[in-house]
Amino acid sequence: MEGSSCKSTGEGCVNEFHEISLRHLDLSDIDHFMVWASDEKVTRFCTWEPYTSKEDGINHIKDKVIPHPWFRAICLDNRPIGAISVTANSGNDKCRGELGYVLGYKYWGKGIATRAVKLAANTIFSEWPHLERLEALVDVENVGSQRVLEKAGFQREGVLRKYLILKGKTRDMVMFSLVSSDPRT
Amino acid sequence: MEIDSSRISLRPFNLSDVDDFMLWAGDDQVTQFLRWNSFTSREEALTFIKDVSIPHPWHRSICIDDRSIGFIYIFPGSGDERCRAEIGYGLATKYWGQGITSRAVKMALSIVFKDFPDLVRLQAHALVENKASQRVLEKAGFQQEGLLRKYSFVKGKVRDLLIYSLLSTDSYQQTSTP
Repeated sequence: MEGSSCKSTGEGCVNEFHEISLRHLDLSDIDHFMVWASDEKVTRFCTWEPYTSKEDGINHIKDKVIPHPWFRAICLDNRPIGAISVTANSGNDKCRGELGYVLGYKYWGKGIATRAVKLAANTIFSEWPHLERLEALVDVENVGSQRVLEKAGFQREGVLRKYLILKGKTRDMVMFSLVSSDPRT
Repeated sequence: MEIDSSRISLRPFNLSDVDDFMLWAGDDQVTQFLRWNSFTSREEALTFIKDVSIPHPWHRSICIDDRSIGFIYIFPGSGDERCRAEIGYGLATKYWGQGITSRAVKMALSIVFKDFPDLVRLQAHALVENKASQRVLEKAGFQQEGLLRKYSFVKGKVRDLLIYSLLSTDSYQQTSTP
């Protein structure tokens, strides 16, 4: 990243000239959105296929992102490089929310997703006082994302066998959770 | 003395089951570890049979000599979750400890993977203190996958739940329904 060196461990692996932050995503961010949303390396473990047209991207932001209960752009110096969201549940499941995130490929391996997850967790537990559990389901083959959650302080609870159908195939998923009383940095 | 297992069967509920239904669904010992509170009136039971059980994808009475002594259900997911279904059950206290629920689960296994062709995973959630139900699942061949912390509300309190699963490819015993 422009000649700055990055340690391989530690969160927020960006030097003092760069800051990771979360903010709302809007239609004016469409070109940034298309960078990660059109990349099949990024969408490999997502339920959705890469976006190929800007119009589809705009519709996605309008129909899915803007009305979403909690959706934020992951920003590097206020420029969106990925996204993170928490989906709410209802009724007896209201105490838990599901976390999901994506990050532009060129930003992988620098601790940015870990930092974004920590920021999101701190924010969501204070914005949703009824929330007691933040969980994430990760494909067994998605080792990078499993490491993000472990570094962010999530607990690995087990492997749920043939839990979901992802792009036409049943997948084993690792369940991770962070409960409101877990230590957070 | 154990009940002759050929007397046990599974069938859909009828409105005429209401009085037998009340005997176990009105019992706090039966409903202790379930999500729902004991039924308190015949009207409530009739409404449940009509509006919940009869339209349900797969809700059955566990019967002895064709009289209802409990329930078992399979609730499949939809969309990306159609590969999995939830199993749940309950039995009148007077029939506990005789392997009847285990038999009912094995009967269900012989049917549901055929009735729901997309189904490859059956799962169950159990409270940590519900040892009897955990034994039913283990005897039927389910594997415990983990403890889900503060997973959902059960009777107004957020609880940890154990999750168990059985895959159509796992080895398990089946019993045909008579």
